[in-house]
Amino acid sequence: MQEFDVLVVGGGAAGLRAAIAAKHAGATVALISKVHPLRTNSAIAQGGLNAPLGKNDSPESFAQDTFVAGDDLCDRDVVRIFTQKASQDIIWLERMGVPFNRDTEGRLDRRPFGSNRQSRTCYTDDRTGHMVLQVLHEQFQREQIPSFEEWFVSTLAVDNGTCVGAVALSLRSGKLDAFSARSTILASGGFTRVYLPSTASLGTTGDGQSLGYNAGARLMDMEMIQFHPTVLAKREGLLLTEALLSEGAVVVDHKGGSISDIKGMPRHKISLSIYSRQNGAGSVLLDLRPVGKEKLARFPQTQELARTVGGLDVTKEVLPISPAAHRPMGGIETNAAGETSIDGLFAVGECACNGLNGAGRLAGNTLTEAVVFGRKVGEAAAKHATAVAKKSFPATKVGDEEQKLARIMSGDSSQDTVRKIHGELGRLMNEKVGLIRNGAGLKEALTEIQNLEERFSRVRVKNPSRVYNYELTSYLELASMLTLAEVVALAAQSRTESRGAHQRADFPERDDTNWKSHTVATLAGGSVQLQKKPMASS
Amino acid sequence: MEVTFKVYRKDPEKDGKPGRSNYTVEVAESATVLDALLKIRDEVDSTLAFRASCAKGYCGECMVRVNGSARLCCTAKVPDYTKKGPEISLDPLRNIPVIKDLVFDFDAFLWNKIKAVKPWLESDGSSVNGENLLPDSQMQDMRKVMSCFNCGMCDEGCTVLPVDFNFLGPAALTKAYRLAFDPRNKNSREQVKIVEKPKGIWDCVHCYEADEHCPRGIEPTKRIVALRDKAYHAGITHETVARHHKSFAASVKESGWVDEGRLAVESEGLTNVKGLMKLLPTAAKALAKGKAPIPYMHAKRPDADRIKKIFEKAEQEEK
Repeated sequence: MQEFDVLVVGGGAAGLRAAIAAKHAGATVALISKVHPLRTNSAIAQGGLNAPLGKNDSPESFAQDTFVAGDDLCDRDVVRIFTQKASQDIIWLERMGVPFNRDTEGRLDRRPFGSNRQSRTCYTDDRTGHMVLQVLHEQFQREQIPSFEEWFVSTLAVDNGTCVGAVALSLRSGKLDAFSARSTILASGGFTRVYLPSTASLGTTGDGQSLGYNAGARLMDMEMIQFHPTVLAKREGLLLTEALLSEGAVVVDHKGGSISDIKGMPRHKISLSIYSRQNGAGSVLLDLRPVGKEKLARFPQTQELARTVGGLDVTKEVLPISPAAHRPMGGIETNAAGETSIDGLFAVGECACNGLNGAGRLAGNTLTEAVVFGRKVGEAAAKHATAVAKKSFPATKVGDEEQKLARIMSGDSSQDTVRKIHGELGRLMNEKVGLIRNGAGLKEALTEIQNLEERFSRVRVKNPSRVYNYELTSYLELASMLTLAEVVALAAQSRTESRGAHQRADFPERDDTNWKSHTVATLAGGSVQLQKKPMASS
Repeated sequence: MEVTFKVYRKDPEKDGKPGRSNYTVEVAESATVLDALLKIRDEVDSTLAFRASCAKGYCGECMVRVNGSARLCCTAKVPDYTKKGPEISLDPLRNIPVIKDLVFDFDAFLWNKIKAVKPWLESDGSSVNGENLLPDSQMQDMRKVMSCFNCGMCDEGCTVLPVDFNFLGPAALTKAYRLAFDPRNKNSREQVKIVEKPKGIWDCVHCYEADEHCPRGIEPTKRIVALRDKAYHAGITHETVARHHKSFAASVKESGWVDEGRLAVESEGLTNVKGLMKLLPTAAKALAKGKAPIPYMHAKRPDADRIKKIFEKAEQEEK
């Protein structure tokens, strides 16, 4: 058994930032990640991260733009904390070595991005996620924090309402081990792979949310899924940064008519606009040629990927685009310090929902969220670890997991496979719980999800090894996705209004009278309990 | 289209001996090799082990050799590899311990070597005075070098690593360049010292394979040479090779040609008694054949002054 003050699950931007902060605060820390930190989803973020550094900018203006993008479902206190701390946390990143683009005065340059009314998005060309993650990993290594890479957390250990750690499987050795911790931070990323196509990495399967939910934590605003408007239609899920739109790229429909009502709009509006003008797959086109050679030089990643993945030369050809599922706003319910409803369990980053993003995340807020709250939650978790007595790790937990894995890996499997079921789930979610929903479609989706869950229950893992058994990890990931898909569909069904990323054809208007509330889902007696949580008044 | 994938296998839980499995599958014309592998694992043989993460060419996780050439398999289009016939062979990268099937030891190959160069900036993170003011041109070079996504292709092509696996390799040394040349780093001298030691910058044979292999045009060889320059000018010359370069350049600058005697002696180091003693047998043989150059008793060649001017001009330009 391994013992630490703070255990961080997930090696992306938020997890690394939290681990560093917890270590600085004096805690003993360990990180567990199912892939190496530099292979996490954070690496593929492109556009940039927001900070109100401009002369004419302010935390208040930044907050206002966040509220608008979130369609008034954001928690005002959380947004206030976030917008006030963003500048200092981004400057820390610069000082620790992120090679941000500079203006002529040598200051951090800021690009126009999405519906930010001021240019406040700091960037490194179009590889911002990659650079930020790299520097965070550099600092993480400096702290010499034990890093359990290619370990898959299979369950949290909750004893009498308190989280005391986790049990994880080492892919390399095939062994299960217990990780005892006074504070456990889930920083395992989003669940966008519930949708196909999606812009996310293969491992973005909501394992953290599922672990927390199964242990009794609450999931908030799960119906809020942001679709990204400029995703290459030629190859599933290849994202082209929205920053291109702010730099002059033009969107045209199949008739050649320009789609111009999208400038400076929040993402959900751009996605809806493109979706409504589509006439078959790949009929809406993104033209990067108006950006001009000089500015295009700041988008090397875009050019490289369009060429290697899409076979397209952006300086000569237009790109077919189609909105695709990008990131959830919802996740494990937390307060501003990352505390969940389970004592000792924290969550941060894309797997958490602290009220910052409401019904729509402002473009450029995600990486800032990872570092601002990564730091805050790491500090809170370290503080919590010093304040609590050590609880013993339940003696039977590892044995229970051994049995669970043995059950999954024994017996005859049906003809279904994990990939087949995942494929059907992804397409179902995209169609019926996607950009525009309606009551009838949601009902059908729920029935279909039940069918898929029943079919899944008859699948077994045929690979008998536990060493680098990706059939096993895919199986566990699909279990997470099916659980979350049901919650998303139920939450979408319950919200009888349209707000931000949640659009109901049968309830097309925003309903502030009845719906200035979050949806909260809890697992009780084996089924999903949904509640309405009114927004905090401030 | 129907394609047969001939995949390298190795099972550490059985005999650990390398083998090959052949899988014939139907794949779409637009399929990538990763698409095919995922299909094989799901429908044909779920024991097949291979890594993948972003599946879109960004993250570097899915490196394999496709028909012998290392590349990311998520951007390897199947039709590009079936022009000579419907068979594609898949192998792990060369000269690296394989753990299982296509999963090789990336820790030994790369991650540990990067750790060994102490890959972080020592810097003051306090935001009180705002950001460091820096020209974008400096950051541009950093962005180029840091666009490295640890795919390992440079190390895979390196001609030294098969001979000496403990050579730090172009990827780790590219990281060292980033540390040495980032103006915000207070610790660069220490980090340059690390890579100046054995198995570091002086073990590169500048074959330029790394530059040929790098998919991002980072030019690792150029970075290694830049590190040598930096080390040399900072007076960090632990290695014999470094002293060799210094002595070579010095005698050519002064006399227009190499003073071989001086070169031998200064490479070992004037206070390196043990090293100097090693030279004695060679010196004795040369003396017997009448070919012993006497160190420092070395005539200037004609036009030595013009050669000296070339050096001085180059040194001026360097500044």
